[in-house]
Amino acid sequence: MTTPTWDEPGGPMPTEDFRAATQAIMANIEQVIEGKSATVRLALAVLLAEGHLLIEDVPGVGKTKLAKALARSIDCSVRRIQFTPDLLPSDVTGVSVYNQETRDFEFKPGAVFANLVVGDEINRASPKTQSALLESMEERQVTVDGTTYELQSPFMVIATQNPIEMEGTYPLPEAQRDRFTARIAMGYPDPRAELAMLTGHGAHDPLNDLRAVADAALVRRMIAAVRDVHAADAVQQYAIALVTATREAPEIRLGGSPRSTLQLIRTAKAVAALEGRDYVLPDDLQALAVPVLAHRIIPTADAQLNRRTTDAIVAEIVHRLPLPHERSRSPYDTRNTGGAQYESRGR
Amino acid sequence: MTGRRRLGLIAAGSTLLAAAPISSIFESWTWLAQCILAVGFVAGAALGARTLRFPVWAQALSMIVVLLLALTWMFPSGHEVLIPTPRTFEHFGDLFTQAGQDTRQYAVPVPDRQGLLFVTVLGIGAVAIAVDLLTVVARRPALAGLPMLAIYSVPVAVYVDDVPVLPFIIGAFGFLWLLVSDHVDRVRRFGRRFTGDGRDVDVWEPSPLAAAGRRLGVIGVAAAVLLPLLVPTISGGLLSQLTQSGSGISQNGTGAGGGGRINLFAALSGQLTQTGVTDLVKVTTNDPDPYYLRFGVADQLTTQGFGSRPPSGQPLDRGLPDPRVNPDVRYPQYHATVEVSDNLRQNMLPVYSNTVKVNDAGGGWSFDRNQQVIYSTRNTTKGKKYSFDYVRAQYSPQLLRQSPPLPDGSPLLNAYTATPPDATVDNLVKRLTANIRNPYDKVRALYNYFAKDNGFSYSLTTQPAGSSSEIASFLQNKVGYCQQYAAALAWMVREAGIPARVAFGFTKGNDRDGTTYTLTNRNAHAWTEVYFDGFGWVPFDATPASGVVGSSRAAYAPDVDAPTPAATGPTAGALPGAVPSGGPSAGDLPQRGQGDLGGSDLGGTGAEVTSTKGLWSVGIAALILALLLVPALRRLLVRRRRHAATAPSAPPAVVSSAGAPDLVVTATSTRAREDAHAAWDELLDTMTDFRIPVDPSETPRVTAQRLIKDAILQTSPAEGATLLGSAEERARYARKPLQGAELTSALTQVRKGLARSANRRTRIAAVIMPPSVLLRWRLALAEGNTRLMAAGGRFGEKLARFSPRRLLPHRNR
Repeated sequence: MTTPTWDEPGGPMPTEDFRAATQAIMANIEQVIEGKSATVRLALAVLLAEGHLLIEDVPGVGKTKLAKALARSIDCSVRRIQFTPDLLPSDVTGVSVYNQETRDFEFKPGAVFANLVVGDEINRASPKTQSALLESMEERQVTVDGTTYELQSPFMVIATQNPIEMEGTYPLPEAQRDRFTARIAMGYPDPRAELAMLTGHGAHDPLNDLRAVADAALVRRMIAAVRDVHAADAVQQYAIALVTATREAPEIRLGGSPRSTLQLIRTAKAVAALEGRDYVLPDDLQALAVPVLAHRIIPTADAQLNRRTTDAIVAEIVHRLPLPHERSRSPYDTRNTGGAQYESRGR
Repeated sequence: MTGRRRLGLIAAGSTLLAAAPISSIFESWTWLAQCILAVGFVAGAALGARTLRFPVWAQALSMIVVLLLALTWMFPSGHEVLIPTPRTFEHFGDLFTQAGQDTRQYAVPVPDRQGLLFVTVLGIGAVAIAVDLLTVVARRPALAGLPMLAIYSVPVAVYVDDVPVLPFIIGAFGFLWLLVSDHVDRVRRFGRRFTGDGRDVDVWEPSPLAAAGRRLGVIGVAAAVLLPLLVPTISGGLLSQLTQSGSGISQNGTGAGGGGRINLFAALSGQLTQTGVTDLVKVTTNDPDPYYLRFGVADQLTTQGFGSRPPSGQPLDRGLPDPRVNPDVRYPQYHATVEVSDNLRQNMLPVYSNTVKVNDAGGGWSFDRNQQVIYSTRNTTKGKKYSFDYVRAQYSPQLLRQSPPLPDGSPLLNAYTATPPDATVDNLVKRLTANIRNPYDKVRALYNYFAKDNGFSYSLTTQPAGSSSEIASFLQNKVGYCQQYAAALAWMVREAGIPARVAFGFTKGNDRDGTTYTLTNRNAHAWTEVYFDGFGWVPFDATPASGVVGSSRAAYAPDVDAPTPAATGPTAGALPGAVPSGGPSAGDLPQRGQGDLGGSDLGGTGAEVTSTKGLWSVGIAALILALLLVPALRRLLVRRRRHAATAPSAPPAVVSSAGAPDLVVTATSTRAREDAHAAWDELLDTMTDFRIPVDPSETPRVTAQRLIKDAILQTSPAEGATLLGSAEERARYARKPLQGAELTSALTQVRKGLARSANRRTRIAAVIMPPSVLLRWRLALAEGNTRLMAAGGRFGEKLARFSPRRLLPHRNR
């Protein structure tokens, strides 16, 4: 099997093909997950942005179903890990076992050796096991017993976790959370979608009917197309400004990392491509700021006491931060002069 | 330093600022030094008393005691050592009296007189105490404005017509400073001061409330300065000043001895230069050619110029002396009725010379034989109507030439020929009167000297002739008006050993209705009177007839500038046939038109002044209107510039977008980007104009959507807004900008749509006072302000490095 390198994901892709492919994937997933097109689109964007997705919500809203639907829609290797408290790192990464016949140690790849890795209930495993994912998620390689094994492209970890249940869970370490490109919440379906779900799921599981509409090669080409999306200087500055603002905000103890800036731009490119644009808008960044940044930052104790969620803090930063202007300073940008900002705020 | 003590120092500082108007009263700055000392002592006493936690009464007492000590130190009587003794208070009383005299004798600006300085320092010190008590003890700094206003009322009382503006501004800012400091202190007492958006503590930051306060303060001061300029001046002010000086003279009784400069000159120049024209006197006489109406005399010449002595004489009802002293002179008798308007309030009655009988004047009027002035110590001429009989002495050159020189021991010689030493005048008179023996010929020689041919010219714009040196300089510059001419001629005549004085009154004016003359402030005049033995005081008017409306000349003193050979030489006076004897010699000359009815070039001054005043007010109104229109104009210009940018004028852009989109010339795409930016800026400004908030954190797309949603834009404006949004978005963020779009028409559509959804007030404001322009200017101003404040803060920090406080151990801050 020829493993394409990470830097050459695939050839260029016409816009029409890209649109057709994305629409096919999304339509496929939406057969299973009804009324959640924004979430599905974000999940797809994270895949195209070469990131990892953390789905966080209460049980029973379809986290695993989304992960599995995405995996099934793409004809590529999919592995599922059910994170349990007794799971060991070697279960994830793989292990060298002694082969009696060859009289040598032989590497048995773990669950991580796949294009799509669905990690269910990731916070139920001990931090030790969770940490097994660190190397693979960032460096797309696994080192076992001193040997480094490259992972395939595309590679995406879709993890789910339950935020409410505290019993027997280990919160994700900061390093792990930072490796997830985006955290999305499913949210309850609206009554109509729930009704459709009852009708559809009553007879059989629609997940079983899902056919793959794309393969790894196509996804690689799509990733290449996404990489080609233009992010203007102003947009990049805005991304930097957003992340910097999380570092400087008084309510935040730990702000976004440089990696988060990179992932913000990448995801924004993917979203722009999904919308048929070849350039990123600040709108994309604004829409992505909460899912991409909120799970990484740690609020101060004061903010926690005030029940300020990180989502709210990031949303407020987005609302407050002026757009960078490549031209001369806008007269409406009144950060340093006072006065007018009170008029423009009163809406 | 606690707020209270700091406030005390600020009260002292603002008192000193409020004392700025005093600067217009004094010639030098001695008063300021003394006031700073006095106020400083008072503030120091207050500071000390507060540090030692004295009760309030003790604080007040300590300030008063310190002020007293300071006054004793600065104005010692010479019999005490810092501690005031009864003699000190006597001395203070003397100073008070002296100040009272000085106020009557000196015209502003006054020199450093001990009495005036004493009163000033005492007054400012008292104000400082009052301001301190009101601000720091009573916490009512607004009330402290009253004592400060009292200071300002001093120049207002003195300069009735024209109060200097700058000192008022300084004083007003002193008061504002006090108010601001008090309120900041008040806020501080609640705790640490949060200035801004909860961002920082006790740091200077712009807050909208403070900005509004500052703006209100500046606007208030500006309005206080500018509004009075638009309100028509209240006339008659100068005349009341005249009245003051007059009553001062009569009350003073003893006289000033040295004879300071009296205000008659100042009043005269004030009347002449006043912008408005006020009717003062209406006189009806059966005299076909009356001379000047006369009311005052200045007959004391010192180094400070001509001054008056207080008149003294007998009540009118005891009769007047007969002026018909010379049997050779014809004295035809005439009758005149005078109506004084309410605008002329003085205590000297305007009458013609040689009055023989006054009717209906009422009681309280007296006649001074020497000055030939009718005066009153109680009444004024305001609204008075009276009549009098007078004789008109008809001198001729031949008759006057018969007058011999006064004998050496004559008291008149001593009284009216004293002159200050001045070599220039001395030499000039010697040169002009060389080889002339006859007094009349001497006077004529001097009189003729003021001819145009000798370089003299009439102008109202010169400084009023005050001191002797100023008169001498008039003889050098040769530019002046009646008071300089009159004073200079009188001096020169005195120098020649002939008694002379300056008379004040009115010319005949230019408003003549049959036998009635209406005289205005423009007709105020001064001329010279020369004493001839056997004839009495004979008037000579050296001022050029062309410069004075309604001037009158007699044969013995013809118009020297008249182009008749008769009037050019001193000998010409001997030819009475050349001019009609007794008639207005110059009156018939072609240059002056008919009679005295304003044929001269200045004849129309009155009317012109009224029309120029109208023009002025129209001009000012137009200026204000233009200033008000500046924002609208600015907005229009900006819009035109942007429309010019966004107008679809470049065909290559259209071609490239329609044809091969990938083959975009860089220049065109740059152009398209700039166009989109211009259109977007215009859209934002339009939004501001229509009071739709602009959010700097919004993307163009969101802004356009909000615009459509909030302003309820209909189809085509909505499309326009979307187009503008996407054009700007692509110009900013895409590889290729949107090209060939009809941005201008989109802008117009959006503008129309916004106007439709806005209410009428907003629409009008958007056109006349576009908020976008105002906002831009305000922000620029605020930014400059911030920068200034920041620089000030840095400077203060640098200064703090030199503060001696940091040498104190164990002291944080």
